Amino acid sequence: MKVSLNWLKEYIKVDLDPLVIAEKLTMAGLEVEAVDERYNYLDNIVAAKVIEVNQHPNADKLFVCKVDAGGDELIQIVCGAPNVYGGMFVPCALPGAVLPGDFKIKKGKLRGEVSAGMLCSAAELRLETDAAGIMDLDGNFVPGTPLEEALKLSDIVFEVDLTPNRPDCLSYIGIAREVGAFTEPEQKVTFPDYRLPEGKIGDISIHDSAKVQISDPDLCPRYSAGLLMDVKIEPSPFWLQDRLESIGLTPINNVVDITNFVMMETGQPLHAFDFDRVAEGRIVVKRMGSDMDFTTLDNKNHKLEPDMLMICDGDGPVALAGVMGGENSEISNSTTTVLVESAYFNPVSIRKTAKETGIATDASHRFERGVDPEGTVNALNRALTLIAQVCNTTTIAKGIIDEYPQKQAQPEIDINTNALNSRLGTHLDVHEIRHILESVDFKVEKTDEAWLKVGIPSFRVDVTRPEDLSEEVARLWGYNNIETSYPMAAAKGKLLDKKVSLREKIGSIMTGFSFFEAINYNFVNENSCDRLNLSDRDKRREVETILNPISDQMSVLRSSLIPGLLETMKKNISLQADTLKLFEIGKIFFATQKGSLPEEREVVAALITGNRSDQSWYSKKKRFDFFDLKGVVEGLLQGLIIGNLSFEKIEDQSCPYYKNGYAALVKSGDTLIGTIGQINEKVLKNYGLKQDAFVFDLDFKALQALIHGNITAMLLPKFPSVSRDITIIVEKSVTIGAILNQFEKITQKQSLIEQVSLFDVFEGETLSENKKSLSFRVVYRAANRTLKEKNIKKLHTNISKTIIDLFNADLPE
Amino acid sequence: MQNNIIDIEKQALESIEQAGNSEQLEQLSIKYLGRKGVLTGFLRNISALPEDQRPSAGKRANILKGKLEKVFKNAFSKLESVDGKDFTGIDVTLPGRPAQRGSLHPITQVANEICDIFLRLGFDIAESPEVETDYYNFEALNIPKYHPARDMQDTFYVSENIVLRTHTSPSQPRVMEETKPPVRIISPGKVFRCDSDVTHTPMFYQIEGLMVDKNISFGDLKGILTTFIHQFFDKQTSLRFRPSFFPFTEPSAEVDIRCVMCKGKGCRICSKTGWLEILGSGMVHPAVFENVGYDIEKYTGFAFGVGIERMAMLKYGIDDIRKFYENDIRFLRQF
Ligand SMILES: [Zn+2]
Repeated sequence: MKVSLNWLKEYIKVDLDPLVIAEKLTMAGLEVEAVDERYNYLDNIVAAKVIEVNQHPNADKLFVCKVDAGGDELIQIVCGAPNVYGGMFVPCALPGAVLPGDFKIKKGKLRGEVSAGMLCSAAELRLETDAAGIMDLDGNFVPGTPLEEALKLSDIVFEVDLTPNRPDCLSYIGIAREVGAFTEPEQKVTFPDYRLPEGKIGDISIHDSAKVQISDPDLCPRYSAGLLMDVKIEPSPFWLQDRLESIGLTPINNVVDITNFVMMETGQPLHAFDFDRVAEGRIVVKRMGSDMDFTTLDNKNHKLEPDMLMICDGDGPVALAGVMGGENSEISNSTTTVLVESAYFNPVSIRKTAKETGIATDASHRFERGVDPEGTVNALNRALTLIAQVCNTTTIAKGIIDEYPQKQAQPEIDINTNALNSRLGTHLDVHEIRHILESVDFKVEKTDEAWLKVGIPSFRVDVTRPEDLSEEVARLWGYNNIETSYPMAAAKGKLLDKKVSLREKIGSIMTGFSFFEAINYNFVNENSCDRLNLSDRDKRREVETILNPISDQMSVLRSSLIPGLLETMKKNISLQADTLKLFEIGKIFFATQKGSLPEEREVVAALITGNRSDQSWYSKKKRFDFFDLKGVVEGLLQGLIIGNLSFEKIEDQSCPYYKNGYAALVKSGDTLIGTIGQINEKVLKNYGLKQDAFVFDLDFKALQALIHGNITAMLLPKFPSVSRDITIIVEKSVTIGAILNQFEKITQKQSLIEQVSLFDVFEGETLSENKKSLSFRVVYRAANRTLKEKNIKKLHTNISKTIIDLFNADLPE
Repeated sequence: MQNNIIDIEKQALESIEQAGNSEQLEQLSIKYLGRKGVLTGFLRNISALPEDQRPSAGKRANILKGKLEKVFKNAFSKLESVDGKDFTGIDVTLPGRPAQRGSLHPITQVANEICDIFLRLGFDIAESPEVETDYYNFEALNIPKYHPARDMQDTFYVSENIVLRTHTSPSQPRVMEETKPPVRIISPGKVFRCDSDVTHTPMFYQIEGLMVDKNISFGDLKGILTTFIHQFFDKQTSLRFRPSFFPFTEPSAEVDIRCVMCKGKGCRICSKTGWLEILGSGMVHPAVFENVGYDIEKYTGFAFGVGIERMAMLKYGIDDIRKFYENDIRFLRQF
């Protein structure tokens, strides 16, 4: 809400510096976001003296003036105002000035004559409504004096960002009350005169021509109305336009402007109906009860829902209650009889209507936060009085209508000041607390040693329990005056959550492997499953869809981390970074039943692409391959002390984004941990990628279940080991895994074998096409002695023979 | 004669030890082992010895000769490495073979740092789901349907009653439903709001904190949060508590710190106020306690929520929040 300081001073006496006011309001919970000089728009406009006026040589209605605007030389300005004369002081807009309406002043030529500025009318400067001629400043000024200074124009506009709990401060009176609480000495609000002016009241009673019926008092507990006759719709007088413009509202006409003025003043939204267009003079406040179309006064059509509260006349709806009036009853230039509505509507109902119709107005903003139910009549009287004042043909009908079927309760709250002090950590005595509460118009009565009974004023709809009052005391006492303390708490520690420590461990291993952590959005493109080539029955197609996404690119919750990593790869390649080692730990989601929470599953995924090593003085350029990433998985699991690993080739379509034959399941024992593989051409193409990418995808929960924590250190061997190699030639179809498995079986039976590893794979050249040569190194060691050549020789021969027989292998020539 | 050879050995070893450069060493070598040297002279004079002593003296002289040859060789090589003139060696300016590094995302790093501060203060980590029911995200936190406070957070809906959590606060009722007081937890995680522009990303991180016990006061809230801010920034950071509104706390407070960019003079980052909003906090609203069945006469507590991006932006001088989720490797590599 914008607050003009000049206007505010109508209600409260305050002469603090505007910045101090802003600071104090902010620290009382009414955050001032900006403090602006209202007349900043008059920059580069000065009081100037017209020295000489000559007829324009080429235009009858124009004058060429020599003007003293304070500079070293006189300037020439072409002017069309008939009232210009030599010796006149006028506002002169110099080049660089911007007049209201975004009209920029530049030096130029008018009909061949140089014009280096503009002499302005009062209306052009929004200083009066007079547009007839240029403004005669009527006095003696030093030419060049800024106009703001010459006319002593000064106002400050505060931009207050109110929290939704303070609708009472959506009004000048509300803000004034808060200001009064911190001025010294304390000030109380000067309220406007709410009595109707005797002399303006006519003979006709409102009850003779207007009737109000509230059919749904739950949604409209109170409806007050007054009637005005012989109204002449005109532009408002300057003071009224000026007030509205000071806070950025556009003046419309006298009646509408007054309803807006009173709303800003009191916080009570008002609506004016052209009463001649209200059928049968009857107002019925009710739920619509059926679907229908309705045109609001901004000329837009809306579909009405049956439960929306409407203001109806004898024929049908004339306004969306509390939100916006209808076109059919709007004030027009020919309006003469005006019914002014001042009501209290149920906040939830107004909010629903505003949400459903998509209309947000100053009125709905206030109603949905809660206006003062006891304030309708005062605001109504104030509006009737002011309209009669600005439009003097008007008479006010005798009496007002005030239907109030559901009297709103005026709560009283008992507070224990000890409890209040202990909640805040303060040591305020009962009197201080009482004084603080009274400063913003709570009615306080001391009932016992430590007890206060607090009457809640009707405008404070936010205060309903003792804790709300503790906040009032705290904010008015000053949060920064509350002593800082430290809680007494048991020094009871727990272990770090298992999930958290596992995540940290994975992070440290992966970064140790020189991976960078990526964080992608949880939402992905709606076609992500298609782009991953997933089959129709794939579980990952059970995605949760966002009803109101920001865009199609972010419309479903991810069911895999792979799309995000591929998008990230794409983005980086477009930025010329084509070698990437990325990992991400995050959740994926699967829809369950409608209306239930989705299944959230945490996943660890990684992607590598590009070069294992760039070309440099010590190495040749080498591309990443499957085994680079496999090594990472092995290293990661080893780091997590998860053993018994196996990689099983994927030979079905369960992961259709991997290249056939280039992907594996990752298992520990029988537990499936995840998958690893190379992304296939089709999927790369779907993501606009041209270079190989390898990913793994591990289930966090599976990892967690496999972690057993404790490491038992082994005794280090005391005796030396002996290594023997064996090279065999086998069919290409024989997998290394199968051979290593056999070695493993042998190892389990033969305690002298410590380790078997593959150290060379060779194909082609001298070998026939379907063969490969494999070299293994077997390490022998005894725990209690140094092995002798002869023991090993026999053992090695036996083992070699077993393997050769099992795999039908040849020895190299 | 016996003594003589022992003396020769002793003298030779001593002078070799003292030789400072290879020239001196060279001369010593000639002196002892040369054709006209001491040992040669000794051997020539053996014939002057009684016959029975000749073989043993010859043997001993030859042993000493071998020994001295070795000692000279060692001494030469030792001197070479000290005073050698050849520094050709390797080109030490050749780039090293990189020991590549990776790193955690800056958001993870800052979140860890914040969590660590609270862990040291005795808080435990308790996580809660990223997709939430309307109940935990709003109702349990005293934000009924159609409450204007719902406008403070633009919500992503998955269905009528299921939302992407708009804050980490649902962890409060979730933890309290499961635990009796005292409670001291923090809950970090992703949150979501349908808002996307220069200053907003639709997903961001928060850390929620909650402490409930007997006699917890607003002063205690100030104490814990001041400690946190002083540890995260530095002890000189001044801060202020400013009244605000959150439906689930009463009183509610925003915490501002003196702008770290302009030191309070006012700049673009702090929109000229000299203060930066860092976190939201407050005393837990009794309605929230009632929703989880806590006795509001017996217990009080405070809660707070910290935006991690904001902290990371201040820490690293990042001016565009969107950078965090673009995963540009050039950005990630800096942390
Ligand atoms: Zn600043």
